[in-house]
Amino acid sequence: MLSFCLRRRCFSTGIQQIEKDGARILRIVKKRVDERALLTSQLSESMSTPEDITRLKQLKESEPIQEAWDEWAKTREALHETTALLEDPELKSMASEDYTMLSNTLQELVKTRFPAILVPPSRTAHLSALMELKSGVGGSEASLFLGEMLRMYLRLAQSQRWKASVVSESALDGGGVRDAVVEVRGPGAYDALRFESGVHRVQRVPATEQSGRVHTSTVAVVVLPLMEEADAQQEELYSMDDVKIEVMRARGAGGQHVNKTESAVRLTHIPTGVTVAMQDERSQHQNKRRAFQILASRLMEAKLIREMAERRASRRNLVSSADRSDKIRTYNFAQERVTDHRIGLSLMNLRSVMEGDGLQDFVAALQRDNEETALEDLLAED
Amino acid sequence: MASSFSRLAATLGRRQAALELRWLKAAQVHAPLEEMVSRRVAGEPLQYILETQPFGPLTLKTRAPTLIPRPETEDWTIRLAELLKNTSSKRRRKVLDLGTGSGCIPLLLCELLPQGTLTTFGVDQSLLAVQLARENAELTGFSTDEQRNTFSAFQASFLDPLFPQLHLGLEPPFDVLTSNPPYISWNEYLRLPNSVLNYEDPKALFGGPDGLDFYRAIARLAATRGFLSPDAVVAVEVGDGQAQQVEEIFHSVARVNSVIWLDPWDKQRTVVVWLQPVDASHSRRFISGESGYPQ
Repeated sequence: MLSFCLRRRCFSTGIQQIEKDGARILRIVKKRVDERALLTSQLSESMSTPEDITRLKQLKESEPIQEAWDEWAKTREALHETTALLEDPELKSMASEDYTMLSNTLQELVKTRFPAILVPPSRTAHLSALMELKSGVGGSEASLFLGEMLRMYLRLAQSQRWKASVVSESALDGGGVRDAVVEVRGPGAYDALRFESGVHRVQRVPATEQSGRVHTSTVAVVVLPLMEEADAQQEELYSMDDVKIEVMRARGAGGQHVNKTESAVRLTHIPTGVTVAMQDERSQHQNKRRAFQILASRLMEAKLIREMAERRASRRNLVSSADRSDKIRTYNFAQERVTDHRIGLSLMNLRSVMEGDGLQDFVAALQRDNEETALEDLLAED
Repeated sequence: MASSFSRLAATLGRRQAALELRWLKAAQVHAPLEEMVSRRVAGEPLQYILETQPFGPLTLKTRAPTLIPRPETEDWTIRLAELLKNTSSKRRRKVLDLGTGSGCIPLLLCELLPQGTLTTFGVDQSLLAVQLARENAELTGFSTDEQRNTFSAFQASFLDPLFPQLHLGLEPPFDVLTSNPPYISWNEYLRLPNSVLNYEDPKALFGGPDGLDFYRAIARLAATRGFLSPDAVVAVEVGDGQAQQVEEIFHSVARVNSVIWLDPWDKQRTVVVWLQPVDASHSRRFISGESGYPQ
């Protein structure tokens, strides 16, 4: 009998624990549900005044939160009833099964469903990514590692069914790549890869090193949202009047006098001072198109950063937005370990990160961390 | 043997060599890389080695000795397409390109204007050019389908006094007349870079002692009754420093309005002529910035 009481106390503590853990999010959901009730009470009898129409629209939009809340209330009620049944020795075993199921549902509501409804969906979810890799300190060893990173990302793209293409690459005679630009096309590519932006550090004994001394080299990665012409227009990123288009290098008399390939183009977005130079393509028209795409991608990134800053403006000093110069990850070959410094995640299988599915674990963990941060932002507004 | 890169860099400079090596490696050409590099080092234009040149959104075939499409021509053709888009026409427009070479000008107009609104023609005295232009029409899909814009090329000399009467299928009046005629003068011809002088057709380059012979012929044709429709527009590319003289040539044969367009390097590159005096407000709508009304 004594053991039974203990278990019961333990069960009710379970409900309290869920409510305590989810107190802040439950408070927000409750607030939204109360707002709905207020809106409903404000509707006129005819339900057709202009104010009504706005209210009905708002009610429609917040329906999912109401539904989830109703489910919460229903499940909570059922849980209380089940708790009573636990005292009946005949029904005990069946009831405890229900009890587990119902508590799981409550847990799931608090941990997943409520946040999913409250946190607005990513507005960049449909965007592809433009990824730039540049070797930093470490000379040719950095370039060798950059080549390996390039293959790592191409492999990731393949496993995610994104279409990756290297649009420019300066390969070195002695092996390795000094810098490269990769287009990764496919929905979700930007949202997954954006957290790769930053400085990646490699620690190993270079193949060329005779003395066996460990070198530290770096590769800088910048990931931009790839803006197609339609996306750029929709976001109203720039007006053509604000973009100065310059052709680079003189052509002498030009025209029939010259048949040298001279297609480099530079764009300057005057209000922001952002400049883009492009010479990888064989015609001016193609270079101009590519340059405009990169300009739009850079302006979009700036816009996203600005929006995030505005959202967080009310928060004190919690802003930890990654600076491009921040060291984000270390690949330590001697210890076979990859560590992401932002989330403190280490994987002990370096080879699986470079050549297998290990990188996906980092990508997923960083996305999860981002979602949690978004939720924290939301809770902080409360 | 030195690496491909160092061989190219010795003649082109490192920056250009790096770019060109990448394009050579990516080229859909059967020749081995070493051989392509040797041709390039010997001075052959890259466009002949790669056998293609992007022109606006198109990729056109290039083959010696037919003139390689230039970025200046690409720029003004895109601008002319914008101008034609902004001035509507009730009927399907007829375009004639004189000295069409690879066919680049009419083909780019076909690409950029709404489908089914253009019938374009090109003439060239060179059979090799006409063949290449026809291949390009085929390649870009503007050769036969009447639902789309079309381009046909004919072998003809527009200096011929009987032009175009002798040529079946070339029926005036035309609504748009374009040309990138040979405009290099005698003095300049001898100073051309080897990649032009030794590889491109002299007949596509040499424009008579002062480089202006072909503009006189074009202006005469344009002024011939019935050759152009009343609201026709003429656009001709000119060499560095020739724009004003070419404008004068047109003004000497008819009462016309004209403007000069600058190329991306700020050179006066294209003379655009309207046969009929156009209403100033009407014309200003599509003539931006650097207009140069004479008189």
